[in-house]
Amino acid sequence: MSTQTETEDVGNRSALERLRASPFLSELLSNRLAVAGLAMIFGVLLVGLYARLFIDLQSVTTSQIGTNPNVAPPSWLGQKETQVVTDYGTWAYPFGTDIQSRDIFERVLYGAWIALKYGTITVGASTVLGVGLGIMAAYYGDITDNVIMRTMDVLLSFPSLLLALALVAIFGTGLWKVVIALTLVYTPRFARVVRGAALKVLEDEYIEATEALGAKDPRILVRHILPNCLAPITVQSTLNFGLAIIDIAALSFLGFGSEAGTPEWGLMLANGVEQGLLTGDWWWSFFPGLFLAITVLGFNLLGDGMRDALDPRMRETVD
Amino acid sequence: MISKRFLLKRLLLLVPVLFGVATFVFAILHLSPGDPARVIAGQRASEEFVQQIRTELGLNDPIWVQYGRFLVEAVQLDFGQSYQIQQGQPVTEVLRFKLPVTLEMAIYGQFFGILLGIPAGLLGAIKQDALSDHLTRIGALTGISVPIYWSGPLVILLFAQVLGWFPASGRIGSEFSIQPITGVITFDTLIQGNFAAFQSAAMHLLLPSLVIGIYSMALISRMMRSSMLEVIRQDYMRTARAKGQGSKITVLKHGFRNALIPVITVIGIQFGTLLGGAVLTETVFGIPGIGSMLVDAIQVGDYPIVQGTVLTFAFLFTLVNLVVDVTYSYLDPRIEQ
Repeated sequence: MSTQTETEDVGNRSALERLRASPFLSELLSNRLAVAGLAMIFGVLLVGLYARLFIDLQSVTTSQIGTNPNVAPPSWLGQKETQVVTDYGTWAYPFGTDIQSRDIFERVLYGAWIALKYGTITVGASTVLGVGLGIMAAYYGDITDNVIMRTMDVLLSFPSLLLALALVAIFGTGLWKVVIALTLVYTPRFARVVRGAALKVLEDEYIEATEALGAKDPRILVRHILPNCLAPITVQSTLNFGLAIIDIAALSFLGFGSEAGTPEWGLMLANGVEQGLLTGDWWWSFFPGLFLAITVLGFNLLGDGMRDALDPRMRETVD
Repeated sequence: MISKRFLLKRLLLLVPVLFGVATFVFAILHLSPGDPARVIAGQRASEEFVQQIRTELGLNDPIWVQYGRFLVEAVQLDFGQSYQIQQGQPVTEVLRFKLPVTLEMAIYGQFFGILLGIPAGLLGAIKQDALSDHLTRIGALTGISVPIYWSGPLVILLFAQVLGWFPASGRIGSEFSIQPITGVITFDTLIQGNFAAFQSAAMHLLLPSLVIGIYSMALISRMMRSSMLEVIRQDYMRTARAKGQGSKITVLKHGFRNALIPVITVIGIQFGTLLGGAVLTETVFGIPGIGSMLVDAIQVGDYPIVQGTVLTFAFLFTLVNLVVDVTYSYLDPRIEQ
């Protein structure tokens, strides 16, 4: 019993030490842009959690006419003459209000929660699906490989947004259906990356050695192939996170995603552009888009830094 | 040189993929919740009338008969007639007029992307880790992070509404009536010698192409930078430096051609992405191409249009990828293995 805990302890310590000493992590943390990206993601996450815990979804979804000023610009901008409201020059409505008198600031904050929630589910599902298919294709080879990868090829022969639209045409509209459609759209990328990485690992002799020692299929897959593909999977997930958030909002923007009233960035943008832009009420669409762009930029900065950190060729400089 | 074997192999690989694509497109109609016959007949039509349309469309036939018919017709570029968008018109006819609109915008957008992206990437490679390098890098990442359905409306607001320098949407001023010959409006106006109309069309195209060009530029400049950095480290480049080709510019000239190879891939892939992005760009800028048409068609349930458009997009995308692959192997014969 005691020996078992001891070996476990040693295992844990070495894992931690390995992490600390890993050139990947130190490289990543010395990349200021990647750290900035991480900070941005963390900030958006805090905003999302705050919104989820402290903002009443009902009050940002339903019409607030009579409670709040109607179509008011950000209140700190000063008096708007057509409105008889006392809040101007204060921080009461920092992002203004929309045509249903809803506070855009609170709606934008809540949008962070929605974006992260559905983004995480999309990326998580496509990662699991893609990793499973990729490893299976690489390990079993032959017909399994062919069937899986040719199906992936078919999915990859559509521009991604277009495939998502075609799938939405089949599934119907709604945020969850958009999530399912995008999951299918992203799965092939993971499958490809993982299959490639897994094939490389399989070529190594130690897999042969484990097989010779009698380890059965699932054990080889989980214990040996997966940890060795972790790096490319992580990079792909991070880069896809930004993409998922932008695509979910895009489909909502086109009218196939969230239901009317939902404080979701893409839909807020659509409403702002349709109803507010021609009259010059820029704040409806400006703030949701700004938060969307910051969130996506955060993931792209981090993912880009990760990719560089994994690629040793990018480390040395040339004089 | 490209070997015939490589080209043949690449083309043969296309067959199962295109077959899969066609099957998927066929499935769109049959897995969708709406009833096509009901869409055509209208909500208030009698059940008999709907049945009659269903028989006319062959929707009562066994599914494999319908599938076979779809494949045969698709090979002949026959996707049936539009239900709603351009009622009764053959889908192929509709696509013939709308596709050039989309292609024109994508080509101009890609032109701006290359024009801005390659110099920006080179600048980053020459002065690696200098301020300019970091700035182009941040700029590129910002470029791909900003959604086009946000930057587009903002650009329209600023340059069209507030400053009034450019038109807000559409393809050409309403005072011009141009006979579509090719469908590429900047070309049609020129060959008809109507320079005022050409100017108007160009002004309409400038904002959308710049907005999508900035997106393209981001990826092109990133690839140009990293590819150039890699080439600089190659042995032959060291030899060139050792032989006294000292100045950085000379060295860059020496390696530029080789560094361009992966950039061409990105330009190709990016062109495919631009086609997909047309769905958003055309909606934002009110351009009547196949992208905005697809959105409308899905909303009203005009399935022949949806099928025709999706198949066209997939075909173009696959074609671009093929051209990229072949160009790549032409420029770098090692790829064939």
